[in-house]
Parts: sequence; C-alpha cells; structure tokens
Amino acid sequence: MVDQRKFIVSHAPFWHSGKNVAQRSYGIIIAALPAVLAGIYYFGMPALGVISLSVSFSILWELAFNYVAKRPNTIGDGNAALIGLLFGMLLPATAPFWFVITGTFVAVVIGKQIYGGIGSNPFNPALVAVAILMLSWKKYFDFDGMLINYDFDFTPFYPLVALKAFGTSAIESISILDLLLGRQVGGIGATFGLGLIVGGLYLIYKGYIRWEIPLSFVAGVFLTSQIFNLAGADRFAGPAFHIFTGYTLIGAFFLATEDSSSPVNVIPMLLYGLGAGILTVLIRNIGMFPDGVVFAILIMNLVNPLLDKIRPKAIGKVV
Amino acid sequence: MAPKKELKLAYYIAGILLFVGAMSYAAFPVKVPDQPRRIMFESIAGKVFFDHKTHSAEAGYGLSCIECHHELEEGETDPQPQRCGDCHEADSGDEDMPKKSDAFHKQCTGCHEEFNAGPLNEKCNSCHVLL
Repeated sequence: MVDQRKFIVSHAPFWHSGKNVAQRSYGIIIAALPAVLAGIYYFGMPALGVISLSVSFSILWELAFNYVAKRPNTIGDGNAALIGLLFGMLLPATAPFWFVITGTFVAVVIGKQIYGGIGSNPFNPALVAVAILMLSWKKYFDFDGMLINYDFDFTPFYPLVALKAFGTSAIESISILDLLLGRQVGGIGATFGLGLIVGGLYLIYKGYIRWEIPLSFVAGVFLTSQIFNLAGADRFAGPAFHIFTGYTLIGAFFLATEDSSSPVNVIPMLLYGLGAGILTVLIRNIGMFPDGVVFAILIMNLVNPLLDKIRPKAIGKVV
Repeated sequence: MAPKKELKLAYYIAGILLFVGAMSYAAFPVKVPDQPRRIMFESIAGKVFFDHKTHSAEAGYGLSCIECHHELEEGETDPQPQRCGDCHEADSGDEDMPKKSDAFHKQCTGCHEEFNAGPLNEKCNSCHVLL
C-alpha cells in the first residue's frame, strides 16, 4: 500500500460566462435562430417540420434514455434541444420523418448519453449523427436530389457538388452576396451566411464560445483554399466561395466550438480550428465527399485530448 | 432559472414542437409539381441533372413538348405525356427501340449541337456528375 498510485489533480483553465448550463444552451439556440428562420423562409413549411421534429425528438430520446438508465432527468439543461436544433440545421428540408427520428437517436443516445451525458462526449453529437446517417443513407444528404422539386429563384444546385463535378466554371453564376443572404441550396440552417456570422459573433460577445476556434477554422479554410486556387483556378474555387458555402460557417461557429469535444487552452484551440479548416478544404478538393466539414471536425475532436496536452507547466507539483 | 422551471420549459418545447413537426409533415408534404422543374437521371456514370423548366418555359429555351415527347401529335399538349423510361428501357433487346442511355445521349447532344448551345464537348463530365 506504500506505493499506491494517487490521482494527480491539476487545474484546467475553466471559463465561466456567468450563465448556467440551461441559459447557455438556450443562448446558443437563440444565436442560431436567424439562420434557422432564413432556412424556413427559403425552404418553406417542410423545413419547419424537420427542425421542430428534430428538437422535439432529441429531448424525448434524452428523456427516454434517462428513464431506462435510471439517471436523473437532464432535459432541463437544454443541451438535448440544442443538439436537435443543430442536427436539424444540417439536414435538407425534405428529410423524411423517420430519418430525423433515427438521426436524433444517434445524436443524443450514441453521440452523447452512452459516454455519460453532457460534458463527457468526445465527439460533437450532432456531427456523429450526420456522419453515421451520411454513410448509411447517402442519398438523403444529396441536396440536389432532395430539393429537386423546389422552384428556386437562385442557382438551383448545391454549389459544392457543382464545383467538384464541373470545376469553377459551373459556379461562376453564384455570387458571394447570394451565398451570404442564404440564396443557395444546402442544409436548412447552413445556408444563411450572414445570420450564422451574426449569431457566431453574439456567442463570442456573450462568452459562450471562444473566438480562437472559429477564427482559426476560417483561417484554415482561407489559407488552404487559396493555395489550391493558385495551383489550379479552373478546378479549385477561391477562399470566399469555400467560406460561405456548405457547412463552413455553421461548422466554425456552432459545431467545432462544442464544449466537451474542443480544447480549452489557447494554442490547442488555435491548432484545433486550423486543423479542422485545413482538413475541410482537403476533403472538399481531393477527398471523395463534396463537403468536408463533418469529417474534418470529427477528426479534430479525436485529436482534441492530445492537443490539450500543450499547456503551461504548473509551478511546483500539484498533488 | 430554477431547475423546476427549466424542466417545465423543456417539456413545453418538446410537446409544442412535436405537435408543430407532426402537423408540418402531415399538412405540408413536399409538393411534386405537375410539370417537373428539374429531373435527376441516375446512371452508372453519375447522375445527370436536366432543367426541365428552363428547357420548356417560354422565358427559357421555349421548346415545345413534342421536341422530346415525340409520341405526341403536332401541336398537342398533353398535361401528362409519356415518360421517357416508359418505352426506352435501361437495357433494351428491341432493335427498333433505342435503350434509355442511347436515347438520352442522342436527344441531348443532338439538340445541343443543332442549336450550338449547352454542353457541347464530348467529355462525360460536361453533364454527368462524377464524384
């Protein structure tokens, strides 16, 4: 018993925004609302159905899991609702109801609860669900096919697929202003760039997220796409296009910043965001998927514990 | 906010949005228009998107129905013309009936060449989405 190993306790750089967990969850939901409302405006009532069902079933799955696992009821912290909202924002407006119900189960139960609930999940729950569903039912994430019956007054194809299949000549008709105003095909809450930026800045202002991750994420996307663009302007689009289309902005502000799957120290946060941004463009430009945000963030979630080892050494030994 | 209030709020959100979601799915299913807007042809060489609306609309290319739906009589506008795949099968053994891919290739490239418009070169990825 003499050399019994003891736990080494050290202090993490905890951040406190002055709000409790529920206020924080609902704060993030409010920040996401402009993008959601724009999605409902462009894609109509089916989009409202997807978002509503996604939020509602996320809460219900958490409630059911708490009951089955005999754990305290945690739906009051609003985290399940937030996961549901973010998952719904990534879906096409015409996603069938069973798809939403399955996805929310994967997000809340497999993505979060089996690891021990809020704060214990190693991956972003909404992204775990999107990744699993994307690999299982690819066609429901084919935005062109899913939104084929919509009569858009803007370019009616998913910009990232057009770019990958036909090169930059295919996306000449898409203006950056259109992308910013949400006049593009994509996920319900992922198209309105301006809304996502405003929501993201609100989150930074309120202290719900740190500025390091979104900024370095966007910087990673910018730098990598700029290099590709210089190497072959006919095949690879420029930085502005990559930043304002696909899941980039929702990824930078709302997905990569998920608290338990992202680092807490400054340098790790910068490396984490930068890595996710670089991987996003690498997957988009030379990978097999049109959009790389989902897998880029999941891979960086995996690296997160290692990154967080880069931290200032404690003075003296804390035992 | 007190924990009890938080719990109550979560129950309200779950209940109300479940109702709204179910109503939206039941009352507002995605409408399939009478005339297709875009058509996705799936093939082993990647899908091909055809903008039916732009090709048929007066403000677009203004093609008459008979240009493609050739079973119609001159001037006839059937609201439900036969679909291409009804006769042109994926693998046709009938010599008189071109198989689906031949029919589409002939129809698309023939018309594009005639009007010197749209994708003209013979690269597959001018039309096929090869990912």
